[in-house]
Amino acid sequence: MPTLTLALKDLRLLLRDVRSAVILLVTPLVLILVLGLALGEGFGEKPDEKLRISVVNLDRGLAVPQPFPGKKWSEVVLDDLAGPDDIRLEEIADEATARGLVDRGARAAVLVFDPDFSERMNRASFLSHADPPPINPFDRDGVRTPDLGVRLLKDPAQPVSAAVIEQVTQVTLMRVLIPWMIGRAFQRVGDDAFMAAVAVRLGDVKPTPPEVLQELDPVVQKLLTALFADKAFAAMLEKKFGPLSGVIKGQVPAFRELIQAAFRDKELMARVGKELALGEVLTPAVRGEVGPKVKAGVGDLLSNYDFEATTWAGLNKTAAREADGARRSAYRDTSGLRYQILVPSYTVLFAFFLVLSVGWLFVSERKHGTLARLRAAPLTRGQILLGKLLPCLVVSLAQGFFLLAAGYVLFGLTWGSRPDLLAAVVVCTSVAAVGLSVLVASVARTETQVAVYGTLLVLVLGGVSGSLMPRDLMPENMKVASLVTPHAWALDAYSQLLARPNPDPAFVATACGVLLAFGAVFTLVAWWRMDLE
Amino acid sequence: MSEPVLEATDVRKRYGETVALGGVSLTIGAGELFGLLGPNGAGKTTLISIMSGLTDADGGAVKLFGRPLTRSARDLRRLVGIGTQDLSIYPDLSARENLRFFGKLYGLGGGGLRDRVEEVLAAVGLTDRADERAGRFSGGMKRRLNLAAAVVHGPRVLFLDEPTTGVDPQSRNHIFRHVKALNAAGLTVVYTSHYMEEVQALCTRIAVLDDGTLRACDTLPNLLKRLDGRVRFRFAAAPPGFAARLEQLPGAKKVVPADDGFDVTTDAIPELLPRVLALAAEHGTTVTAIDPREPTLERVFLHLTGRELRD
Repeated sequence: MPTLTLALKDLRLLLRDVRSAVILLVTPLVLILVLGLALGEGFGEKPDEKLRISVVNLDRGLAVPQPFPGKKWSEVVLDDLAGPDDIRLEEIADEATARGLVDRGARAAVLVFDPDFSERMNRASFLSHADPPPINPFDRDGVRTPDLGVRLLKDPAQPVSAAVIEQVTQVTLMRVLIPWMIGRAFQRVGDDAFMAAVAVRLGDVKPTPPEVLQELDPVVQKLLTALFADKAFAAMLEKKFGPLSGVIKGQVPAFRELIQAAFRDKELMARVGKELALGEVLTPAVRGEVGPKVKAGVGDLLSNYDFEATTWAGLNKTAAREADGARRSAYRDTSGLRYQILVPSYTVLFAFFLVLSVGWLFVSERKHGTLARLRAAPLTRGQILLGKLLPCLVVSLAQGFFLLAAGYVLFGLTWGSRPDLLAAVVVCTSVAAVGLSVLVASVARTETQVAVYGTLLVLVLGGVSGSLMPRDLMPENMKVASLVTPHAWALDAYSQLLARPNPDPAFVATACGVLLAFGAVFTLVAWWRMDLE
Repeated sequence: MSEPVLEATDVRKRYGETVALGGVSLTIGAGELFGLLGPNGAGKTTLISIMSGLTDADGGAVKLFGRPLTRSARDLRRLVGIGTQDLSIYPDLSARENLRFFGKLYGLGGGGLRDRVEEVLAAVGLTDRADERAGRFSGGMKRRLNLAAAVVHGPRVLFLDEPTTGVDPQSRNHIFRHVKALNAAGLTVVYTSHYMEEVQALCTRIAVLDDGTLRACDTLPNLLKRLDGRVRFRFAAAPPGFAARLEQLPGAKKVVPADDGFDVTTDAIPELLPRVLALAAEHGTTVTAIDPREPTLERVFLHLTGRELRD
């Protein structure tokens, strides 16, 4: 009962202490607000060592799926884009969100694939005529992205970053487009239409140059030799000419000499060539024979490349890179992330500012001589200390829950999936803070000492623990070293509960246990030091 | 002396090398208004702290109502009220809240506490200001509230350490009246003060403490008896050998020349006066002035300690 009387009296005094109310409740809220505005949306995000490329993929794919690429063309581009280790893809669901991010400077540029991107990619070709009409996407500067249905939303205030993203996009599109277009083009080399076109071209060569005819002499000679050596031809000759066939056969060597002499006669050949176009040599059957050989011949000539591969790796005959899904992630709105960090950070920091209020309460008790009256009363030392601790704990709990509630209402803080554990962390942090507060109160004798020791201690511990900056930004060894402070354990527990979708209860329980241990040790030392008798 | 309430026997206390109390023994009876006099540093506050159970002595013993009084004797502390030299009230609580709080600490509650608080507020003249924060009170009002806080739980023994320091006459009278009323109602009061006249006016028995040692402890008349009176005589003329004749008069203990006359120390002023007048006539001179000086508590204090109270 005397303990409760003492506690209620101190609680009343604490509630009447405007100075403490400002320090414990108003100041942290003001700091959270100011820092939140000053540090911006990116505060608290881990510094990304990779280039983030944000995309909006509206591509609806091909109306009729084809074996290649077997998926949306935009997916081919994105897989290629996410290929390098130093690039991370961020996929934004809709263009409005992307435009909003660019407009407020949160993204330097966002790549947008229009709904007909796959259709347009499918039409990309070196051909000048096709059905549907081909698209030639190249110009002096690289790929004409608008022709393919690719747009880049750019923040004019961040031209350099936007340019980097644009160039990376250009390179990727080249890697996808060039093998695709070469492959399609090479398929046409040597085919009927190709060879017909060649024949048409050769048809224009009339008269046939005499050198061309002269070069045909060995062919004609071979043809005559083979013909007269053939039995079926001999039968045909005898049937046609009867007894003259023997004469004819006997005259073949002379005839061959005559032919040979005729072919050697350039003037004669020039006269004969006037009646003959070169294209007539390429008959359809010849073209059918020659076309594939031409194609194979080109392949053999440029054997370091596979022109029919249609992929970059296939073109240059290297192993294809596996698409890494880990490098692609959906856009997450992190505008509230700063408050997920700032609110718990300052809740912890200012929980320990309780040392000032409690210190002043004890100093005030000495200064006003009332401690002597308490000592004169029939109270035990434990009753006096407990009577002091209880109201401090109540104030600390009220402060912790108030700041988390204010964070929820004012800053959109989310309480995570385990608000029950969050409440436990508030309680355990308060126990540690109250313990430290009575320890400081047991050392400080004057208001000035309380202000100096208290403020110094709170700021140093806050700085060491990471209350003043995100703990994730601290060097790893410093993070480990900071675990000598109760702040660090509280912050880690808050981080576990507020920043992770599935917090680890065992981790939080450990942190709570350590905080309670801090509180107990602080209180025991204060009990040993404090002159209440 | 009535039945003893408080008995201190050979009480000793040191603070480091400093001896605060070098073996003090005294007894205070029930219903006494006991004065404790001593210069600064004499050990008064230490003695009161020990006798009220605030501090344990290094040696000796204190008994309250026949039982040993130490820090651990919490039930005995309920019987004690302390009006500390420094104020001990909460400035951010009202007078009523202060008294209710201190009353509750001693186990009072409910209607009894409410009545007792109102009674004490009325006794110290603070009923009208009972709901004002104590921090806004004048020095005198704070002193009165401090006294009220010391007695709100109804102690059997009240220790008042310099209760009128820095107060206005009105508040001093309030305090005097209240202390007398409390004592008249049977409360044993131990009163220390720098003001000799307060102790002289209030206390029935007085102890003089100096350098941690009890120099005297007695009723005021008995203390005064410890000093001789002194009369300064001035004469129209002083014939040769007159001083020697004065010293031979019955009742005269010591004669010292001073300002056209002599200071004569005596323990019987009324008997000495006619003898001096007769001696003057005998020597053909006349007494022009007589200035008798009775012993006072202040002179007794000076005699006992060798220094003024406010040294």
